[in-house]
Amino acid sequence: MLPKANAYGLFRIISNNLPKRFFSSAAVSEIKELELDTPKIVNGRVNPLTHPDYFNVGNLFTVRDLLEARVHFGHKVGSLNDRMKPYLFGSRLDFTIFDLEQTKEHLQRALNVAAHTAMQGGIILFFCRSSINAHTVEKTALECGEFAHTRYWRGGTFTNSKVQFKAVTRLPDLCIFLNTLNNVMLQHTAIRDSAKMNIPTIGVVDSNCSPDLLTYVVPGNDDSPASIELYCKLFKEAILRGKAKRKEFIEELEALEKEQAS
Amino acid sequence: MLLKSTLKLLNNPVNRLLINRINSFNYGTVTSSINLDFLKRDKTSKAMKAYLERAQQHDEFMKTQNEEFKIGKRHLANMMGEDPVIYEDQEKIDEAISYLMPSALYDKRARPMMKPPEKIFPERKAAEFDETGRAHHFLFYTSKPNFFQLLYDAVEHLNGLNKFEDNMTRQQKSVDPALRLELSGSEWINQDQLELKLVENIQPVEYRYFVNVMNRLIEHPYSFRVKDFIDIYRRPLMNQTIILDIPKPHIDKDGKSFITVYECLRKKARGDVTVRFPGSGKILINGQDVTYFEYDQSREQILFPLIFTEMLDKVDIEANVEGGGPSGQAGAIRWGIAMGLRSFVDADVVEKMRYAGLLQRDYRRRERKKPGQEGARRKFTWKKR
Repeated sequence: MLPKANAYGLFRIISNNLPKRFFSSAAVSEIKELELDTPKIVNGRVNPLTHPDYFNVGNLFTVRDLLEARVHFGHKVGSLNDRMKPYLFGSRLDFTIFDLEQTKEHLQRALNVAAHTAMQGGIILFFCRSSINAHTVEKTALECGEFAHTRYWRGGTFTNSKVQFKAVTRLPDLCIFLNTLNNVMLQHTAIRDSAKMNIPTIGVVDSNCSPDLLTYVVPGNDDSPASIELYCKLFKEAILRGKAKRKEFIEELEALEKEQAS
Repeated sequence: MLLKSTLKLLNNPVNRLLINRINSFNYGTVTSSINLDFLKRDKTSKAMKAYLERAQQHDEFMKTQNEEFKIGKRHLANMMGEDPVIYEDQEKIDEAISYLMPSALYDKRARPMMKPPEKIFPERKAAEFDETGRAHHFLFYTSKPNFFQLLYDAVEHLNGLNKFEDNMTRQQKSVDPALRLELSGSEWINQDQLELKLVENIQPVEYRYFVNVMNRLIEHPYSFRVKDFIDIYRRPLMNQTIILDIPKPHIDKDGKSFITVYECLRKKARGDVTVRFPGSGKILINGQDVTYFEYDQSREQILFPLIFTEMLDKVDIEANVEGGGPSGQAGAIRWGIAMGLRSFVDADVVEKMRYAGLLQRDYRRRERKKPGQEGARRKFTWKKR
């Protein structure tokens, strides 16, 4: 499905020969900071929610890492979803190429969200229906103490959870889709169900996927094991950073409480 | 102040990185009260509350059931005119119940019973999540965590073996064929057993996944390294020890060894056969020799196991047979002789006899005649008019 070309060579050719964006693009540029009412600094401490990059996810990867992991390869131009046009850099040999500068921004934001969710003690659920990558994803979930669902999706797992699990069940607080398609044609039902249940979603969207129902999109290749391994590594690291921070805070809080009690 | 000025420079990622460095210094040194409200949330989740409520209901129910059981035991003692103390014993209760309410229902579970409530009502499943509602198992949301964990483990083992194989290839070492896994005597546990093992319901398609992945695992040249994992899901094939359990011959007063096979059945014939060793090839059927049977075929039937094992003139045969016709009687004796001969021949000859079908009972019976027909299958001659 993907051209086996030298990644470096390909990028050079594109940047030399196709300087203009191939598709009409209202390019999504900078990710703006949230304007929240909460103060940026509380009692001399940085407020994690207003801080632009509280977990240093910016230093986790570079555009070169993305390139080496073949994140820029999209599908054939013919299967392009119109809503994915703004994230594209152009096309090469009839294959779409993602604009990795944009992907980087989006991925950073997604990692930030994952880390924040982990810090707040949220439940994170990983999805991946591609059988080649399912094991990698499950392993990632296990290693960072979160959850994975890479199997057939039983309808109503979210929307009818009380019946499905035979008890009241806490649903995940964040869903991370490492690919959003069930097969070539159909979108994963869990995306729709997460939207229904008001669960935020992060999704790696390839050029043939729809970004519509996702809260945080990461435009990029969702088929290559190399790309999926990179995403998994990054999300795992971000989540672990969030959890470490949480542990730190809890220890601090306990120390404070002990101090007050004595 | 430092932060405020830096926020403007955020579009540049390099600056952002730098700022983060500075910030981390900043909040590392602060010790005054902190904004950690998000940690102070109500810890018990809805899921846990619901679970605790149900657990409490169950406990109360079991408590009342226990009290009723105690009173019931006293009533039983009254009815039987016995000391209540003896009804602490469950066996005595069962006896009393079957005396007071005799039942001939086939299924024992359908008969009246009086048992401690713990044995009658199923135990409650322990909570699958902690007090914040976070599940213990990382595949909890698949709703079949144990089954998918099994598949995960199998793939994990497979990856480990592949890695090991690569290592060995690099060192130019090959697999020792003596270490290969011997699995011919066993097979994968079936779907029901797998369900019991995993305590989960499994679809046929999921069972096929299981078989496929496990087959891939055992096909690996280094699969002996994960023998422990594989053995959990194997079961031994049909036990042949019953057939191979050959009785030892007895010794009679002349010092000859003999063996008697009872219940030799074929069609309506029934008999017992005694094989004596050493012998001279004498055959005695109901006090006569082989000429007891008129037909050659029946005689051949009897001689066949002896010729097959080359024991024709080494043993004596004595048979008593009744019922049925000549072919049934001959078949019954043939089977008896074959079974008796096992004690006097080698194990591989026994195996050959098994292959030849000599040790197989023939369970076929006469098929009944049907009305409107001449016999079991034969129709009356068709005449146009």
